[in-house]
Amino acid sequence: MNVLIVEDEKALAQEIASFLKNQHYLVEIATTGLDASEKIAVNLYDFILLDIGLPDYDGLDLLREAREINHEAAFIIITARGEVEDKIKGLDLGADDYIAKPFSLPELKSRMTAIARRKFGQNTNTIAFGEFILDPLSRKVTCADQEVELTKKQFDLLYYLVLNKNRALTRIQLYEHIWGNLLGDEYDSNFIDVHIKNLRKKLSEYAPAIWLETVRGIGYRANID
Amino acid sequence: MKLRYKLALYNLLTKAIFVAVFLLLMPYFLERVNIIQTDNELIRKREQVIDIIAEFGVEGLMADPANNAIGSYNILKQEYISLEKTETDHFWNFIEITQRMVDEEIIDYRVLNYSFMVDGEIYLLEIGTSLDNIYKTERNIRSITLVLLGLFVIISFIADTTLARILTRPLEHIAIKLKKTKTPALFDKNPIKTTTTDFKYLDRTLGELMEKIDQLFAKEREITANISHELLTPISVIQSRLENLISSPGLDQESAIKVNDCLKTLHRLKSIINSLLLIARVESQEYLKNESFSIIELIREVIDEIQPLAEDQDIRIEASLTQNFEVGNANRALLYTLFFNIINNAVKFSKKADPQKVEITTFSSNGRFAIKVKDHGPGMSPEQAKMIFERFRKGKSEDGYGLGLAISKTIADFHQINIKVETLQGKGTSFILIFSENL
Repeated sequence: MNVLIVEDEKALAQEIASFLKNQHYLVEIATTGLDASEKIAVNLYDFILLDIGLPDYDGLDLLREAREINHEAAFIIITARGEVEDKIKGLDLGADDYIAKPFSLPELKSRMTAIARRKFGQNTNTIAFGEFILDPLSRKVTCADQEVELTKKQFDLLYYLVLNKNRALTRIQLYEHIWGNLLGDEYDSNFIDVHIKNLRKKLSEYAPAIWLETVRGIGYRANID
Repeated sequence: MKLRYKLALYNLLTKAIFVAVFLLLMPYFLERVNIIQTDNELIRKREQVIDIIAEFGVEGLMADPANNAIGSYNILKQEYISLEKTETDHFWNFIEITQRMVDEEIIDYRVLNYSFMVDGEIYLLEIGTSLDNIYKTERNIRSITLVLLGLFVIISFIADTTLARILTRPLEHIAIKLKKTKTPALFDKNPIKTTTTDFKYLDRTLGELMEKIDQLFAKEREITANISHELLTPISVIQSRLENLISSPGLDQESAIKVNDCLKTLHRLKSIINSLLLIARVESQEYLKNESFSIIELIREVIDEIQPLAEDQDIRIEASLTQNFEVGNANRALLYTLFFNIINNAVKFSKKADPQKVEITTFSSNGRFAIKVKDHGPGMSPEQAKMIFERFRKGKSEDGYGLGLAISKTIADFHQINIKVETLQGKGTSFILIFSENL
């Protein structure tokens, strides 16, 4: 998958690039609107991550322009402005998703995966781990053809861990994935611990869930081959 | 003291002083006027007598010439006249008050003494008028005046009070307007109805002041928003870098934990900025209020959300949601945040409480829909309770950053929900939310 990161903050662009490269994406960076405009005119991208707060270019104009040339691409708007109006405008102009700074990298991946599934029909295969099989399309988890009854939150949590397999996710990353930013300051690590505890309990009724590991001092990790 | 009472009292006082001075001085003037009038009368009568004497001679008047004197009282003894020969050699012409004994009655008379010479003889003429009548009249006038002035004072006091009330009514209207003004932007800009320019001026000046304050607030919000935005990008850089670092294969566990601690601190910073931004955005009305939904369903959703955490700590959430309330112009996400913060807060303070439960009830407060969220936790002192809705004031909570309740208050104000806290140290805390009818 080809990704273009349009972000004037070089350090941030590089961090996103290095993360996505690790996830086997092909990544290019444009740090100005002009640069981005040229790159979009020449190359084809699957994903364009677009910071609309560019100093030399109106991000929404760039989005409009890019969609005309490269209408196959999926657009994710990145903004530090977060104004509701911008969000609506961006989505009206055909952006596929919207992510507010500062966001976590696993969250970005999860959004990209969801778009890829919706838009390009990718990642529709079921994922097997331990004795369980997770179907991202029907949002179901089964164990030996038996459905594991999970709440929406438990499924989201499990899928997020599985998607970022073999990577320790911090409690904050998990918390933000489930609850977003709206709750403001009330981050409470207990929330995640309780939900993981309940998730483990439920999974253990069907088969061992030792692959769901607690990473001391950090959070949780799904160890899957 | 109210202005209208002050005005009325002032008027009353000046009138009372005026009346008192008048009553004090009146007898003197009345007496003077009466005496002058009486004297004039006496002088006129003297002239009449002199005229008669000039025409008919003294003898014509003397009924009994042997006596060389006449004296006559009228029947009611109001007046008398006497004329007698006298030996004195100087002329008398004066008026005095003397007492005369008439039929064993002592009566004050105003007496004119006048001596004159006729045919080499000196005669003394006395004409007297009883003062009794005058005194009576004076007394009557005085009591009538007293009654009239009393009536005047009472009536004018009532009239003054009524007039002052009518005059100062616009002031009352302005006060009511100010009371209703929760934020400067909400100040009612319609001018008050009055013909008094002073009040119009006051009203207009207040309106201008509110506008100025609102502009200052807007500027402050803008600065908060700008600073927050500027901070979000660098935080984003650090966060991405640390996230990449924490999952790099070469990192040992101790370092990973330290990196995670940095991420936690960074999250706190981010939360504070996001909270400030949220407050600033809600305050500058950037959120829409165009959703209709049931508050009860919303609360049930919040409870479902918090339930697993509460259960894990053996805290019961008892919801008795008997009344429903449908809102028509609200922001669901914001109200969700409001209830989440309030209920989550109650659960947090229910650890080690007795009993370990949070009660959520609906009720009517003066006909308005209301919700109460009660915990049995440690409660707060009145000083703490006063400050909990302010930014960065930490209650007893160690994990909050003091913005959750400030956010709640902002959201409540945005939706015209009256949010109150009732608390007693050691007895728990209740949050009461009273909804306005037109939400």
